[in-house]
Amino acid sequence: MASIMTQAQNGKAITEKTTFSRTTSVSTTMKADPAIIWKLLTNASDFPRWNTTVISIDGKIATGEKIKLKSTLAPKRTFKLKIKDIEPQKSLTWGDGQGNRVYSLKMGDNGNTVFNMTEKIGGFMFPLYAKHIPSFDQSFEQFAADLKKEAESIEAIKK
Amino acid sequence: MTAEEFNLEFETIAPPLKSYLLRITASVHDAEDIVHDTYLKAVDKLYTFRHESSIKTWLFSIASNIAKDNQRVKKRWVEYVTDICKQEALGNKQFFQEAMQIATTSPHGAFEIKEHIAFCFTCISKSLPLEQQLCLYLKEVYEFKVGEIAVILDISEAMVKYYLHVGRTKMIQVFDGRCALINKTGVCHQCSELNGIFNPKQKFQEEIMKIEMARDAEIVDKEQLFDLRMQILQSLDPFNSGASAFQLHHLEHNRVVMEKYV
Repeated sequence: MASIMTQAQNGKAITEKTTFSRTTSVSTTMKADPAIIWKLLTNASDFPRWNTTVISIDGKIATGEKIKLKSTLAPKRTFKLKIKDIEPQKSLTWGDGQGNRVYSLKMGDNGNTVFNMTEKIGGFMFPLYAKHIPSFDQSFEQFAADLKKEAESIEAIKK
Repeated sequence: MTAEEFNLEFETIAPPLKSYLLRITASVHDAEDIVHDTYLKAVDKLYTFRHESSIKTWLFSIASNIAKDNQRVKKRWVEYVTDICKQEALGNKQFFQEAMQIATTSPHGAFEIKEHIAFCFTCISKSLPLEQQLCLYLKEVYEFKVGEIAVILDISEAMVKYYLHVGRTKMIQVFDGRCALINKTGVCHQCSELNGIFNPKQKFQEEIMKIEMARDAEIVDKEQLFDLRMQILQSLDPFNSGASAFQLHHLEHNRVVMEKYV
């Protein structure tokens, strides 16, 4: 997963496929404090306001909690996800039996923050249903662009 | 700073502090209590004041801490607060009798649309999470800088910006959907209804044309409309105006209704 995360830069998503899994990753650099980006990523009910790929998230984003997510990628489905791991202002992992999505923040140059979002789905049954799962690339790119726009507009508030 | 110098400073800062606390708590009693407690605490801790911030920032910091403790035990209101309170008022003869009494006898009992706009914001802003409400007032009404608000609320500047942005965006959205003064399809006409009751001889359309926010509603964007709304709040002292007695009575009604409702 580390190599795909390194390759995915400048808001362009990259997907790697194997027989039993598929991994999509996007990275982008933001002129924003990590605290702002973290707050945006962990305020569940606020997601639809700034993120055009999310219809709704019900629940609380905290370790061990469960959330219900509706995405524009599959509007009729409700994804029931568990918040598996949180390291404040560094990483957040949620997922279900089919895969995990990891959000990570790292300090970049000049006080910028590098955001990465990587999702790996798969398992032994994956080849049977792989063709029915749409590509995540466009949705990932949109997610990263929306987050960048929102975080940078907050950072730009006059002091 | 000597006690005399502090007392002089406090007298100057007390009025905006009191109005800030009223807008946070929606309670005259709580606002007055917190101002009093702020004074006592400040006098007690005056020796710790090192001029690292202004005395105003320091006093707002003490007051905000007390207000946060006061508000944390209370539930937040809802954005349709004025609908709920209107329904309650319509079934409450005593409320209207008292309001009419105030309107006809008090020197501060006039109904004024601008005052109602500020009152309305006080009620609806209580639907925001407390941190957002505090940041919004401190920046948009009391004109503190982001760095000063960070000191007052003891949070990072990044968090101040986040709370400001989210709170402001939420209020713009709520008023755009509700306020008929700025949006023809807005569902709330309470200011025109109350103006009709308490100022029956006034022509409402002529009156609202005197208010920049309503007059320019169709030609400026939502952000600017919000700034104009904030300018109205900045220009008014809810304790000392031509309509203060009327609006404080109305606010107390809404507080009692909402404390039962939430």
